[in-house]
Amino acid sequence: MLTLLPFFLWSCGGAEQRADKPKTDDSVLEKQEEVHGQEVKELALSTPLDQAMVKEGLAIYELKCSACHKLTDEKLVGPGWTGVTKRRKPTWIVNMITNVDMMLAEDAEAQKMLEECLVRMPNQNITATEARSLIEFMRQNDGEK
Amino acid sequence: MKMKYLKIAASALAIIGMNACKPSADKTSSGSFLAGDAAEKVYVKPGTHDEFYNIVSGGFNGQLSVVGLPSGRMLKIIPVFSQFAESGWGYSEETKPMLNTSHGFVPWDDSHHVALSTTKSEHDGRWAFINGNNTPRIARVSLSTFRTEEIIEIPNSGGNHSSPFITANTEYAVAGTRFSVPPDNNADVPISSFKQNFKGYISFVSIDKVTGRMGIKFQLKTPGVSFDLARAGKGKSADWFFFSTYNTEQANTLLEVNASQKDKDFILAVNWKKAEEYLAKGKGKKEAAKYAHNVYSEETHSATSTILNEVMTLDPKECPDMLYFMPCPKSPHGCDVDPTGQFIVGSGKLAAVIPVFSFDKMLKAIANKTYDGNFDGIPVLKYDAVLHGEVKKPGLGPLHTEFDGQGNAITSFFVSSELVKWNIAKLEVIDRVPTFYSVGHLSIPGGPTAKPYGKYVVAYNKITKDRYLPTGPELAQSAQLYDISGEKMKLLLDFPTVGEPHYAESIPASLIEKNTKKIFKLEENKHPYVAKGEKETKVVRKGNEVHVYMTAIRSHFSPDNIEGIKLGDVVYFHLTNLEQDWDVPHGFAVRGALNAEILVMPGETSTLKWIPTKVGVTPMYCTDFCSALHQEMQGYIRVSPAGSKVPLSWGTGKNPVADAEKKVAKR
Amino acid sequence: MKPLKKISQIAIIASSLLLIIAYFVPIWRIDLWAPQYPEGLSMSIWLSKLSGQVDIINGLNHYIGMSQIKEEMFPEFKILPYAVAAIIALGILTGLSKNRRMLIGFLVILMLSGVVAMYDFWSWGYEYGHNLDDSAAIKVPGMAYQPPLIGYKELLNFGAYSIPDIGGWLFVLLGAITISTLIFEIKTNK
Repeated sequence: MLTLLPFFLWSCGGAEQRADKPKTDDSVLEKQEEVHGQEVKELALSTPLDQAMVKEGLAIYELKCSACHKLTDEKLVGPGWTGVTKRRKPTWIVNMITNVDMMLAEDAEAQKMLEECLVRMPNQNITATEARSLIEFMRQNDGEK
Repeated sequence: MKMKYLKIAASALAIIGMNACKPSADKTSSGSFLAGDAAEKVYVKPGTHDEFYNIVSGGFNGQLSVVGLPSGRMLKIIPVFSQFAESGWGYSEETKPMLNTSHGFVPWDDSHHVALSTTKSEHDGRWAFINGNNTPRIARVSLSTFRTEEIIEIPNSGGNHSSPFITANTEYAVAGTRFSVPPDNNADVPISSFKQNFKGYISFVSIDKVTGRMGIKFQLKTPGVSFDLARAGKGKSADWFFFSTYNTEQANTLLEVNASQKDKDFILAVNWKKAEEYLAKGKGKKEAAKYAHNVYSEETHSATSTILNEVMTLDPKECPDMLYFMPCPKSPHGCDVDPTGQFIVGSGKLAAVIPVFSFDKMLKAIANKTYDGNFDGIPVLKYDAVLHGEVKKPGLGPLHTEFDGQGNAITSFFVSSELVKWNIAKLEVIDRVPTFYSVGHLSIPGGPTAKPYGKYVVAYNKITKDRYLPTGPELAQSAQLYDISGEKMKLLLDFPTVGEPHYAESIPASLIEKNTKKIFKLEENKHPYVAKGEKETKVVRKGNEVHVYMTAIRSHFSPDNIEGIKLGDVVYFHLTNLEQDWDVPHGFAVRGALNAEILVMPGETSTLKWIPTKVGVTPMYCTDFCSALHQEMQGYIRVSPAGSKVPLSWGTGKNPVADAEKKVAKR
Repeated sequence: MKPLKKISQIAIIASSLLLIIAYFVPIWRIDLWAPQYPEGLSMSIWLSKLSGQVDIINGLNHYIGMSQIKEEMFPEFKILPYAVAAIIALGILTGLSKNRRMLIGFLVILMLSGVVAMYDFWSWGYEYGHNLDDSAAIKVPGMAYQPPLIGYKELLNFGAYSIPDIGGWLFVLLGAITISTLIFEIKTNK
C-alpha cells in the first residue's frame, strides 16, 4: 500500500490551481480598439487647400455626417455647415468630432448646441487624420481655395 | 384517585398532540450551509464588473445565456438555434439561412452543452460551441460579438447529445449520437432490426485554427449503442476521446427498463489520432448524406446556407486499435477527465459507486491485451485492469463531475440532491452540500480544463419549487453558487436561470472583456443592400419586389416617407444603422409585419421583409429608445391597390421648421 | 364483584362511540421527505381507502422496483369497517353490562386486535419493501425499502415517518381509557 502512495501523490501533482491572472495568446484574438480622440489643442491650417484631403473629407461627410448636417446653413438634426469654419476654431470642430463626450461635459458652447438640438452629437469613430480632412472639406464648403 | 385517572387520560391526549410534530426539513435547509459572509462575497458594486463570464446553455429554449459571476446577473441571451423576436434573429433575411437544415427551416432546438475553445486544454476566450440536440447540429458562437457565426448539421445522427466537447487545442468538436440510427442513405428498415442495421455514429467536426470554420472530417460507425456524454483527454491522454454509453442492451423499446438491465455499460475510448492516420491511409469511405452548413459573415452581415451531400466515414472493423470499451457500472452519464488527463470519472447514474479509471492502466491493459471479450468486434478491457478505484457510497444518482484544480473532484447527485467533493487520488469523500433541488449539471470556472480557476461551483438544478416568488405552474430554473475556496463548500447565492441550463462554462472576464466588439465599421460593411450614408438611400422596384435602401441615425430614418407601394408587392427594408458609437442600436417595426421587428447594431445592415396586406398609410418606427427624440423617429409608407398608378417616390421630406426659420431670417 | 361505576360506564361507552369518527378520518399516515420534496409527501390510510399523494409515491418507487400501492393490495379494507363496528358494539355492551369481567374481556380483545393490526401492517411493509422487481432501473445491493412500523427511517434519499393519524389515536385513546377505567375500578372497589 505504501508503495502506491507516491504514485498517487505524483499523479495529482500536475493539477495545480491557478492563482494568478490568466495569460492568453493574444495573437489568436480579434481586437477592436474604440477610437476616442485625445483633446486637440493646436491645429495648423495651410493654404491653398489640400485637394486630396478635401476629397477624403467629402467621402467621410457622405458616409457619417450627412444624415444630420446639411452643407447649407439649414439645421437638420445638427446645424448646417455653411460658415462653420468662420464661427468655430478648427480645434473646437475637431474636438467635437473626435472627443464629443469631453466637449459635452466641459465646453459651454457645445452644451448650448445640445440644448438646441436635443440630440447628443454621436461619436462616429473618426480618427484625428480623418477629422483633419473634414476640416479641409468644411473650409472648401465655406468658399476657401 | 380521580386525579390519577385524569392524569392517564391527559397523557393519552398528549400522545395525540404529538401528531402535530411533522417531520421537519431543517436538516438540509439552506441556512446551515450558508456562508456567513455570503452577501459580501457575491456583491458586485454598482458600476463594477463580475469576475467571470458564465456561458450557460438554455436547454429547451435553444439559446445561450451570459451570466456574470459571482453576482448571478443575467447579461445577455445569445440566440443560436431558435428564432428570437427581440433582435430579429432567424426572422431577418440575413439570419434566416442560419436555421436552414436538410429538413428545411428549423427555427428551434433543444440546446445542451457548452464548450469553450481551448489552447493546450486551457481557455483561450475565442468561441463557444453548443449542440442542437433534436435536429442534430453544432453551433459556433463568437465571444467577441456574442453572436452565432456558424451552424453545421450532423447527418447520420438522432439526438446530438454527446456533443460538442472539444479536443485540447480545439482541433475537433465531437457529435456522438444519442439514438443509434440506420444510415441516412438506407434508413427504411424495421425498427426491430436494431442490432443488424443501427449504428452509433460519432462525428469529428474539425475547427479551423484561425477562422473557426467547421467541417465534418469523419464519422465513426460504432456499434448501435446510445452515446451520452464525452470528454477529450488532456496532456498525455490528449490524443484520446472518451464517450459514455448506455443501452448497450441494444433495446429499441421501453428503454427505461430494457436499457437498465446490465450491471455495466461502457465508456468508449477513441484514439482520434489513430483515426486521422487511417484516414490519411485512405481507409475512409465517402457515403451519401445530406446536411446543411450555415455561415454568418461579419462583413456582409449575412448568412449563407450550403447543403452538402456526402460525408467521410470510418468503419472500426477495418481500423483496429482505434476503439476500446471500458466497462462502467450502470448507465454512465457524465464521463469527465481530470486536469492532468490521468483519470476518467464515470458517473453511473443508476450505480452506487463512482468508478475512476486510470489512463496509464488503460494503456497497459491495451498493450497486454487484458480483454474481457469484445462487443461487436471492439475489444472490451477488463474492468479491474483499467480501474483506478471506486468512490464508495458517494450519494445517489451521480451525473457530472468537475475539478477544482486542487486534486479534488466535485460530483453532482440528482437523486440525493447534493454536490459531493471528493479526493481523486484517495477516492475519499471530503464534503457534501445540498442543492435546491435535484442538481443536474455543475460548473466550476475552468472546471473541465487543464488548469481550473476553482473558487466557485454553480449547481444547475432541475427542480425549483419554493426557491423564488411563485409564478404559476411554470417556474424559472434555479441555480446555486457555492464558494469552494476552503475545504468546506459554502452556499453563497441562489439565482434564477433562463430555459433549462444543461451545462455551462465559466471563464475569467479578463479573457473576453477586452476583445469585445463595440461597433461594426461602416467602411467595412459589404452588405449588398447597404446604404453608406443618406446619399445612397433609395427605393428600387424589381417587378413586385421593392427594395428600400434605408438608413437610421439619431433620430430619423431616411427615407421616412415612401409612396408607390402596391398590394401584392413584397417590400424589403434594408436598414443600415449609420451610428458608429457603442451601444446605439436602432430598431425597426412596421405595422402588421408578419414576422418580427429587427434590431440593428451600429454599422450593421439588416433586412425586414414586409408583405403589405391592406391599402392605406402604414406607420413604421424605431423600437429602441435611441435618443431624446426617439419618439419622433417614425415615418409612413403609403400602400395603394394593386395596379394603382401612384409613382414610386421617397424622401426624408422637406424640413418645414428649417424653412420657416430661414424665412424669418430673411425678413 | 361490584358493578362498574356510572363514570366508568360513561367513559367506556363514550370513548367507544368516539370511534365512529374513525370512519371519517384517516387512521394512519406515512410522511416522506426528500431534498427535492421540501414540502414533503404524505399518504393516509383510512378504514377502507387510501388518500394523499399515492400516485407521486408510486411514480418514485417504480425506479427501485417497488410495487404500486393500490387499494386492492389491502384486503383489510373490506374487513376493517366491520371489525371497528364490532369493537364499538362490544364497548357499548361492556358499558351497559356494568360487568368488570366483561371490561377485562373487552380490554384483552382490544389489545389483541391492536397487536394483530400492527403485525398485519408490518408484514405488508415487509412484503412491499422487499419484493422488488428484478428489472428495476436502480438496484442498490443489500438495500430493502421496508417502511418503518412506527417512527422514522431513512430509505435512500427519502426520510420516512410512520405515525397514527386521528383515527389511530382514537384507538389509542380507547385503549388508554379502558385500562384507566379498569385500574380505577380495581383501586376504588377493593
